[in-house]
Amino acid sequence: MAGNKEVGGLWCFDVLERLSEYVDGELSASERRKVEAHLEGCDECTKFGGEFGAVVKALKAKLASREDVPADVARRLEEALAKR
Amino acid sequence: MSPLDADGELCRKAAGGDRQAMSALASAYRGPLYRFARRLVQDDALAEDVLQETFLTALRKVGGWRGEGTCRGWLFSIARTEALMAKRRRAGEPDVSAEEQEEELPALGLAAGWGAAMDPEALAAKVEEQALLERALAALGPTEREIIALRDLEGLSGEDTAQALGLSVAAMKSRLHRARLALVAAVKRGGHDGR
Repeated sequence: MAGNKEVGGLWCFDVLERLSEYVDGELSASERRKVEAHLEGCDECTKFGGEFGAVVKALKAKLASREDVPADVARRLEEALAKR
Repeated sequence: MSPLDADGELCRKAAGGDRQAMSALASAYRGPLYRFARRLVQDDALAEDVLQETFLTALRKVGGWRGEGTCRGWLFSIARTEALMAKRRRAGEPDVSAEEQEEELPALGLAAGWGAAMDPEALAAKVEEQALLERALAALGPTEREIIALRDLEGLSGEDTAQALGLSVAAMKSRLHRARLALVAAVKRGGHDGR
């Protein structure tokens, strides 16, 4: 990255490394504050973090399913288990 | 009792030879395990085979289950192994152990647009299209697809995901992050395979 810079005590690469934990809410409070301080002063990381977060959010919202198996698949599974 | 505690209790009962407990586990987990298998093998009939083999293997092995990890993580780890074996049996299929080279994080970031991101709102609008996300996920390598399926689609905890994949939690987190970056890159390519 051409503009890897230190803002708020973190480099852009440090933020890239922590993005998943950031969007999952898994960073400690102090780590989270550092990331947010960096984002406030780094337009590039704010934009990329926004894109990353949008994809992860859409993934969970659009593709996660609670659909059960089709009825015939369930029946064949029961039959297979009953034979053992 | 939480759902996970209840599953653990069912596993313990099944380990003691209780067939009804195994049937109850099959009812509770056939959906999640079938969806997971479909993501891995990308074929409905093969996913059904994986589902059946998963529970038949669970039935054989449950007597030795000692409650390490969770019952859920254990079932997903069996399904993963069965899916890998099914793919190996399918001619010409690369398996997870022989696939993706692990790229350096900066290279993955750059491919996903790190440092060149333009418009988060435009991308957010783009990923409203479910078909694009499906194509992008399908374009990923199997290692990337399986961890996203477990953690982001089936909603397993970090610990259960790590157990299912045979990884430490730290290694699981690192792999998940790489997989998500690869997904962002695939979305930006319009869901096409960039390998």
